[in-house]
Amino acid sequence: MESAGTLAPGAHTGGLAAWVRERPVVVGLTGLVLLFVTAIAGVGLGSVQIGPSETIGVLLWRMLGLRVGLDWPPATETIVWDLRLPRVLTAMAIGSGLAVAGATFQGLLRNPLADPYVLGTASGAALGAAVAVLLPIQIAIIEFGLLHGLAFAGALLSAWVVFRLGGSGGAGGLTRLLLTGYAVGSVLAALLTMAMYVSGADLRQIFSFLLGGLAGASWIRLAVAGPLIAAACVLMVLRSRTLDGLLLGDAAAGHLGIDVRRERGILLALASLATAAGVAISGLIGFVGLVVPHVVRLMVGPAARRVLPISAIFGAALLAAADVVARLVGDVPVGVVMALLGAPFFLFLLQRSRSSYEL
Amino acid sequence: MSPRIRRPVVVLSLVLSAALAACSNPGASPSIAPPPSAAPTPSPSVEPSPSAAAFPVTITDDEATTVDLAAEPQKIVSLTPATTEILFEIGAGDRVVATDDGSDYPAAAVALPDVASFSSVDVEQVVSLAPDLVVAGGLGFTPPDVITRLRSLDIPVVVVYAASVDGVYHDIELLGQATGTSAAAVALTTSMRSEIDAISGAVAASGTRPRVYYEIGYDGTTGAIYAPADKSFVAEMVTLAGGDTITTGSASTYEIPIEKLIERDPQVIVLGVNPFYNPTPEAVAARPGWDVMTAVVNKDIRTVHDTEITRPGPRLPIGLRDLAATIRPDVTLPAAP
Repeated sequence: MESAGTLAPGAHTGGLAAWVRERPVVVGLTGLVLLFVTAIAGVGLGSVQIGPSETIGVLLWRMLGLRVGLDWPPATETIVWDLRLPRVLTAMAIGSGLAVAGATFQGLLRNPLADPYVLGTASGAALGAAVAVLLPIQIAIIEFGLLHGLAFAGALLSAWVVFRLGGSGGAGGLTRLLLTGYAVGSVLAALLTMAMYVSGADLRQIFSFLLGGLAGASWIRLAVAGPLIAAACVLMVLRSRTLDGLLLGDAAAGHLGIDVRRERGILLALASLATAAGVAISGLIGFVGLVVPHVVRLMVGPAARRVLPISAIFGAALLAAADVVARLVGDVPVGVVMALLGAPFFLFLLQRSRSSYEL
Repeated sequence: MSPRIRRPVVVLSLVLSAALAACSNPGASPSIAPPPSAAPTPSPSVEPSPSAAAFPVTITDDEATTVDLAAEPQKIVSLTPATTEILFEIGAGDRVVATDDGSDYPAAAVALPDVASFSSVDVEQVVSLAPDLVVAGGLGFTPPDVITRLRSLDIPVVVVYAASVDGVYHDIELLGQATGTSAAAVALTTSMRSEIDAISGAVAASGTRPRVYYEIGYDGTTGAIYAPADKSFVAEMVTLAGGDTITTGSASTYEIPIEKLIERDPQVIVLGVNPFYNPTPEAVAARPGWDVMTAVVNKDIRTVHDTEITRPGPRLPIGLRDLAATIRPDVTLPAAP
């Protein structure tokens, strides 16, 4: 596994793939176009039909204060401005947070199967949510209940415990960290199963957190989680050269002047923060954090300074697009939609790529 | 068909209600004042026209949330089958604009658009109807996040959850206050209470209580048996119907081990059937290990319609009458009013 960290040569690809690989800016711009199209679809489509002119009218009025010669019922304005727009933006924030966190974890741990939940964040968040559901306490500060708070705390706490127990450096450090994450995650998952067993009528609420979804998105929640995710992502992207250095192996990174222990700790913390902030709002959403970084690597190669920002764009577009489909089909879990639509595309890319694929 | 379906009993007992209400439910009294003459409603004998004093009203729902209603709600969304039945029964049915997909009674409610299913509520659809009152189910029936969301959009949400028959009376009167139909609501609970008391009094007065296992469900592949939990709504109904209820021994578990059921030895097995669960007495008698139970030996396995018994709404007296007749066929029940 240690040797898998070398930069892939990528010299043997030909034709379109090679052309694309040399032009990451084109890939990034394509992603931005996709993101824009998704945003339009996300605000324009839903279970209630609202005409494009009314939708644009509401947006112009609320964003710029422009009254175009149109009138609409207050409910239309609420649907477009308070339900759809924050939901689309929340999906984008969480999608990019999970994709960047996934890319970072994969690079840091030099493991292609790492995802944002590798440090036990998923089990920690789910257990926190389950405890919040079972506690006979009703707290709501603005729109944040106990569930959001404990899910966020649970995710961060489990990542911290894994990091403390698993250590961050030294020989075999990565394997130890991964296995610690697995062990801590198993304990938390067992406690979660126990909580679900005794939950009775509350089981539905825990279950819907496990399935994940964006129905709970609102401006206030976005205003709290969005900046956390954005800040963590920007800081990770700014450290992508460090991440590239770490991919070379601990010794080589040390020769490049990187404080391996410190940098790895910071990156793990940032990735865990982005994951926890997203999970607290949306519940557990899989797939996007594992697969988007791989799709991006297949297109632009393994360099983290390309993979991280482009993953942010594609992660945002994928989750927002999948959420539109999920809403139109009747609020099915967004993770299901993403896996059903995204996995075949990923397989197609994997089949097409002729070069040996490496992190 | 008229959108309002009321039983005559509501009309008959309406006159009594104002007097009775003062002692039975002090909380409802402000809105039971005789309506002023300026009542706009065309059917003053039935419709307890909203008195000017009834709104604005502040009510406290079953989750202890205070809800302010500035005016009498004109567009109501009901998110549970029980509250749909209550709203129609107390005369607010013509103001219900949407329900959940489980609301199958009365017939006028079936035709209304569904904005919620068992698993989710379509918030967008609810908002598009611009309701001035949403009635939701507590204890997780309506996802708590949806309730928070609707309230954040300034839509008043009243959450009800009845854990007992008394809780149902309370919810009916609460919804009466919320919809400006307090007089009809109190009339309904008064008649329900008297019928339920008469039935339970008749079965209680006559001899011993048989040990009753009320089957909520049975999983043929795993052998899991689902019985009433302690202090559950179903357990209370079985007790009121003259049975010695066999419960699971826990307030949160609905599963009972076969050994415990054999040890409690039911004398009557009641199968609560509905469109989703419809076992036959023969199939029950043939289950492995069940042949030792007294009810199986004596062939005292009977079916009863489950919905009226388990749905905390206005048809509980019908459900209780069915259940009492099933458990105690030997007892002559008082005639239905």
